[in-house]
Amino acid sequence: MKIFVQGVGAVTPLGPTARETWDQLCQGQRAPRKIMASRLGNREYYWCPVPAKFVSEAARRPRLRRSGTVSLLGAAAGFDAFADAGLKPAPEINERTAIVFAICSGSVIYTRRLYHEIVTQGANAASPVLFPETVYNAAASHLAALLGIDERCYTLVGDSSVGLSALHFATELLAMQPDLDRCLVVGAEEADWLLADAFASWRMATTKEFFEVYGSSGGTIFAEGAAAVLIGRTGSICLSGSSAGQSFFSHRESAAVAVEFFERLHIKAAPDLIVSSANGTFADDVERVVFTRLFHSVPVYAPKPAVGEALGASAILQVALAGLALRHRQIPGTLDAGSKLQTVNCQTRAHSGTDALVSCVGFNQQINAVTLQVC
Amino acid sequence: MSMVSAIRRVFVTGLGIVSPLGPDSDSNLQSLLCARDAVTTVGSFDVSRTRCKTAGQIPDEWMKDAFPRRRSSSRLHRSARMVAMALHEARESAKSPCPELLIVGTTSGGMSYGELYYRRLLATHSRKGLARLVGNYMPQKPVLDALNANGLRIPTQIVANACSSGSNAIGHGFELVRSGLRGCVACGGYDPICELVFVGFDSLQAATSEKIRPFDRERSGMVLGEGASFLILESEESTTARGATALAEVVGYGMANDTYHLTQPHPSGIGPKLAMQRALRSGGIDPEEIDYVNAHGTATIFNDATEGSAISELLDDVHVSSTKSMMGHALGAAGAIEAAFCVLALREQFLPPNINFVEPDPIWKFKVVANASRWTPLRFALSNSIGFGGANATLILRRV
Repeated sequence: MKIFVQGVGAVTPLGPTARETWDQLCQGQRAPRKIMASRLGNREYYWCPVPAKFVSEAARRPRLRRSGTVSLLGAAAGFDAFADAGLKPAPEINERTAIVFAICSGSVIYTRRLYHEIVTQGANAASPVLFPETVYNAAASHLAALLGIDERCYTLVGDSSVGLSALHFATELLAMQPDLDRCLVVGAEEADWLLADAFASWRMATTKEFFEVYGSSGGTIFAEGAAAVLIGRTGSICLSGSSAGQSFFSHRESAAVAVEFFERLHIKAAPDLIVSSANGTFADDVERVVFTRLFHSVPVYAPKPAVGEALGASAILQVALAGLALRHRQIPGTLDAGSKLQTVNCQTRAHSGTDALVSCVGFNQQINAVTLQVC
Repeated sequence: MSMVSAIRRVFVTGLGIVSPLGPDSDSNLQSLLCARDAVTTVGSFDVSRTRCKTAGQIPDEWMKDAFPRRRSSSRLHRSARMVAMALHEARESAKSPCPELLIVGTTSGGMSYGELYYRRLLATHSRKGLARLVGNYMPQKPVLDALNANGLRIPTQIVANACSSGSNAIGHGFELVRSGLRGCVACGGYDPICELVFVGFDSLQAATSEKIRPFDRERSGMVLGEGASFLILESEESTTARGATALAEVVGYGMANDTYHLTQPHPSGIGPKLAMQRALRSGGIDPEEIDYVNAHGTATIFNDATEGSAISELLDDVHVSSTKSMMGHALGAAGAIEAAFCVLALREQFLPPNINFVEPDPIWKFKVVANASRWTPLRFALSNSIGFGGANATLILRRV
C-alpha cells in the first residue's frame, strides 16, 4: 500500500503558511529573535515567536477564544495543509479523515500559570479556565471539533522526534482502516521561559542570539510553531518509509544505536537530500556519525538555525520542508553551519533528486526517520 | 506497509497491574473480590485548601524493589517504578514473550517532578541540582526507564488522549495485531498522582469531599487514583507457536470524539454511545451478548448521566460497575487497569463491585453491581473510557 503526502501546512516565526515559510527559507531568511527573561533568576534567552497576526484567523474561531497558543498554532497549520492539498474541510471529507497530533511540552504557558497560582495563592485559587487547556490532547480536540472529525483522533507525546512517530502511527491507521481516506498529522509547540530554563539545566539551551549546527553543540534556541502533513492514498510524493523509531538509554550509546537504526531501515538507495534535525545540541554529533558513515555524499539541510527548535512541531516541519524540496526541486541553504559535517548544504540551489530522508534525533533518547519519494 | 486484508484473533497472554488495590494482579483480584476501599487521605502534597482530600494511592513501599538499588535509580520518578513493575509482571505471566512495540497511555507522566522543579526555582531562584527533575519529568522517560529495567529495546508510542489514553493504547495495539501488522505488542497505561492535576479537578468542582459513588442517585464527584497496567497482546499464531496461555481475547475496539466541549461530555451521551457501537461493530457482536460493563463511571454528575444514558439505551439491563469506586480514577492508566480487571472477571467468572452504592437512579435500566462482587457466568465484558476533549474509547473482551 502506498501512502502519499497530499498537502503540507505550517505556521512558523518565518511565515503564516508552509509556502511562505519555504520561500523565506530559500531566500536565506532567519526568524526574528526576541529576548525572553526568566522570571525566576537573572537569565535571558533568545526565542523565535510566531507573530500574532499569523494566527489571527484561528484566534477568531469561537472554539479557540480561550485556548492555549499551542491549539491556535495547531489549528492554523492543520487548515493550511488542507488548503495546500486543494481540499476544503467538508463533512464527506472529514468523516474519512483521522487526526494524529504530536506534542512535546504541550500547553506549558497555561500549565506554569496554573501551578504558579497554586503555589503562590493556594489550591483554592486555581483557575478552572486554565486546567482543561493544560491537558495534552486539548489542541487535538479543538482541531477535531473545528473539522468535525468524530472518530479517530490521537495525541502522541515524546521528544522532538515525536512528529515522526505520529506520522508512522498515521500510516498504521491508514493501513488498518479501509474506511479512512486520509490522516492529518500535526505537530505544535509553544515556547516559554520555563522551557528554556529547564533545557538550560541540561546545557541544551544557549543564551546567544544564534546557534551553530554541526559545530560547537552550545545549545539551541526555542521557537513557537506548528506544522502539518496531510497523508492519503493518492498523490505525487510518496511517503516511502516510516518507522516507530528507536530509543537509546544513554548519550554514550546514542551514535551506535542511531547507526544500527538507520541500517535497519534498509534505505535501498542513497537519498538525494537529507533534512536533518540538527539543533546545536548533542543530537548534531549523533546525526553526523550516521550521515558520515551511511550517507557520506548526500547534501544535508538543517532548518533549525533559521526557524528555531519548536520541539513537537519540528519533525513534522522537517517532513513538510522535505516535501516542498521535492516538489520545487530546490534545497535551501543551512544557516550557521559548523565545520564538523562536510556535506551540509550552505547555499540555496536547484536539485534534480527524487528521494529525501528526514532524520530526527530527539533530546530525550528517541531516534526516528522517514523517507519521501517523487512517484 | 501493505493494506490489511485478513483479520486475526488477538489474545491477552500476559497481564500486569500495580494499583492502590495491590502491587500485582493477584492482589488486585483479591481486592476486587472482597470489595476493598483503597481510597485514603492524600499525603504527598498539601490538601488543606482543596475540597477533596482523598485519592487512591500506591504505597511507595510496594515499589521499592522495582529497580536495583543504585544511586542512578534513586533519581527516577516513582511512575517509572509503577511502569517497570506492571510491565515485568505482564511479561512474566506471558512466559517471556517478544513484544515488538510498547504502546503506553498517560496524561501527566512525571509531572510531580515538574512541580518540584518549579517550587525549588521559586524558592531559591537557583537551578542547582534541578537537572535530574527536568530529565525525568517527561512522559516518555518513565517508559524508557522501565524498558531498560526489563531488558527491552523496542519502539514506544506514548498516547495522551486524556482519560481514554490507556484504552486507546490497548485499542491501537489490538488493531495492529488483529491486522497482522504486528504479532505481539505490550500495551497499557500509567499515571501517578500529582498536585497540579489533583487541584485542577478540584478547581472544576469535579472532585468530591465524600466517598466516590458512581451511578448513585446522590453521587457528588470523583476522586483521583494512580497506577499502571499492561497487557501482552498476541496473535493466535504467536500464542500457539510459543505455547502461551490465552487469558482472554480482545474482540472489539471503538473510539469517538463528541467534538462538543473540552471538559463536559455531550449531554446526549453520543460520545460513549458511538464508541460502544463502533466497538460492537468491530467485533461483530450484538449488544445483548455483553454480560458486564466496566464503566468509566467517575461519579461526576455529567459523566454518569451521559454514560449511564448511553449504556441504558444500547445495552439495556446489563450488569454495570465502576471499579473507580474502590481505587479512584487513574486517568491515563484507568482504561488499562479496567481492561485488566475485565480479563480477571472473565477468567474467574465474577462481577467486580461498585462500592459505596446506596440509591439507584431510576432513569437507568442497567443493574449496578452494588457493593459486593458476585460469581456469575460471563462471556463478553465491555470497558468504557471517557476523557477530556470528548475522547471516548471502548474495548470488548471475550472469555477463552
